[in-house]
Amino acid sequence: MSKQVINSTNIFIAFQYLLARKKQSLLATIGVMLGVTTFIVMINFMTGVNDFLDDAVFNGSPDIIISAKQKKLSSKPIFGVRINSLEKVKNIDHLLSKENNIQSFAHQVISPAILVSESKQLPGSINGVFPSSEKEMVDLKRRLIEGKGFESLTEENAILLGISLAKKLQVSVGDHLKMILPNGKSMHLKITGVFSFGITTIDNVRTYFPAKTLQNLLGQNDAITHVHIKLKDRDDVGLKTELSQQIGAATIEDWKDANKTIVIGNKVRDILTWSVSFALLLVAGFGMYNILNITVIHKRKDIAVLKTIGYSAADIIFVFLMQSAIIGLLGALFGAGLGYLISYMISATPLDTSDFIIVDTYPINFKLVYYVLGIVFGILTTMLAGYFPSKKASKVDPVTIIRGI
Amino acid sequence: MILETKHINKYFYEPEKHQVLNGISLQIASGELTSVYGESGSGKSTLLYILSTLDSDFEGSLYIHDRDIKELSAAELTNFRNKHIGFVYQFHYLLPEFNVLQNIMLPAMKLGKKDKEEIKHDAVMLLEELGIQDFAKRSSYKLSGGQQQRVAIARALINDPALIVADEPTGNLDQKNSDVIFALLKEITANKGKSVIIATHDPKIYQNSDRAIEMIDGSVRL
Ligand SMILES: Nc1ncnc2c1ncn2[C@@H]1O[C@H](COP(=O)(O)OP(=O)(O)O)[C@@H](O)[C@H]1O
Ligand SMILES: [Mg+2]
Repeated sequence: MSKQVINSTNIFIAFQYLLARKKQSLLATIGVMLGVTTFIVMINFMTGVNDFLDDAVFNGSPDIIISAKQKKLSSKPIFGVRINSLEKVKNIDHLLSKENNIQSFAHQVISPAILVSESKQLPGSINGVFPSSEKEMVDLKRRLIEGKGFESLTEENAILLGISLAKKLQVSVGDHLKMILPNGKSMHLKITGVFSFGITTIDNVRTYFPAKTLQNLLGQNDAITHVHIKLKDRDDVGLKTELSQQIGAATIEDWKDANKTIVIGNKVRDILTWSVSFALLLVAGFGMYNILNITVIHKRKDIAVLKTIGYSAADIIFVFLMQSAIIGLLGALFGAGLGYLISYMISATPLDTSDFIIVDTYPINFKLVYYVLGIVFGILTTMLAGYFPSKKASKVDPVTIIRGI
Repeated sequence: MILETKHINKYFYEPEKHQVLNGISLQIASGELTSVYGESGSGKSTLLYILSTLDSDFEGSLYIHDRDIKELSAAELTNFRNKHIGFVYQFHYLLPEFNVLQNIMLPAMKLGKKDKEEIKHDAVMLLEELGIQDFAKRSSYKLSGGQQQRVAIARALINDPALIVADEPTGNLDQKNSDVIFALLKEITANKGKSVIIATHDPKIYQNSDRAIEMIDGSVRL
């Protein structure tokens, strides 16, 4: 049956009908095109931002952080405050080394500190890291703007700064800083590197400093305040639960807790993309439905004649569905082209660094699969919309129509 | 004999149930031009729609080429009609999107027995026989009524059907064109051996047919 229906004659008739109403056909095509364009631009942009944030956040931050619980504030303030170290770090290490889902883990000593440059002073914190294990956690080479990475931390007074922090302090690589710790101790530091993860939440506060030096200055040689863990499978939450049970006096936080706003932001962007695209395709589909419906009403006589000269209901459905398919295909292809063009233009638009992300231009994805998806969606919607009028056309009763004149 | 009906009754249900055809039993001989005449409203069109298999909602039986039409499925019926029956309406009903040649070719392209070139050749031959070869490439709506009706006859003939059914084919034409069309239909009967059934209320036509059947109030008077 279908082999009989799909033939050059029926396709020819479909084309003649489209060409006979050029203006309407063009409008319908433009409708589909705009739907597909919007879909592609939106999904390129939204997933571009999502991927960018994922990359910046999840490659810049650990998946799980174990940190010392804040001790209850003692009633009398003490000078020379000691920082809270994690207890039984050896036990934690032992536990982690047995886990399968762990990519790598590293210790950090994080202490509050005031950073003083020639022109500015800022309260903040110092991340004391062990370069050999930290480099398994963060691919700093990729993030380096200036200077050197972890390897420079072999000098005991070397420090690496996030770019926003460096800007605030008005310093760059080679400049000096003074660091003042809560216990009053201070030290002159040399900036050996400046890095950027692309998001201000990191670039504003992160520093890398040799943990050994920090421990010495604090007078707590074994102090470890944080254990950072990178997972093989980030979505496997089993480990967090297990750690919570086994490690008593510690706070355990995973990437979902730490990046709630970003996780939610990604979700919101996903929902936005799909709902807006869906709405637009719906509008395009409705346009198609409308135009084909009008054609069917205007062409009832012709349909009746086709039926009397041997065209079956299936032929008629095909002829009209074919019109939808042609418009859908054209609209979708043009839409994909225009979508690419607009995406390209956005990706080439210079962008002022915002409060949130630090990029030169908008992050845009150019994945082939989105174009395929857009084209398939465009054609499917149009054909679905065209199906109902086509069905209606096939039901035209030739006797009623021919008699009705 | 090309066609036979046995006790055909036809009812319409709007506005209420009423009988429009009343026990029609007919035998139509092959190679004859048969007219069905009668007053407007007597049921000529209704009968012709049934005889041309467009309307299968009736009581009684219809045999064409000894095939019981009621035994055919909808799809089979469509094919059957395509192959064996040509239909000419009072109004030409050409498709405006297509030129004259394309209009004529449509039933044959659907039948798919011949390739496009052969069909085109057949169509051109028909145009010549009907004296409208000059209009082949013209849009169908740019022709006069008589010319359009000739195109419609060519379209009805393209698949070389045994039976041509024409519902008031001259009803919309002036006397001169009317004469031309009737002459053509007679010629088709005589030279091509077709069976032609014409519904008409033009005495000039039914008096010059091989056979004339009068319809009165849904019954035939033989
Ligand atoms: N679709 C219909 N519904 C109800 N009555 C109809 C319908 N079609 C035709 N009729 C009635 O059937 C009768 C015969 O009509 P028709 O076959 O068109 O007659 P003719 O062609 O001889 O003028 C008329 O009384 C007409 O009103
Ligand atoms: Mg009539």
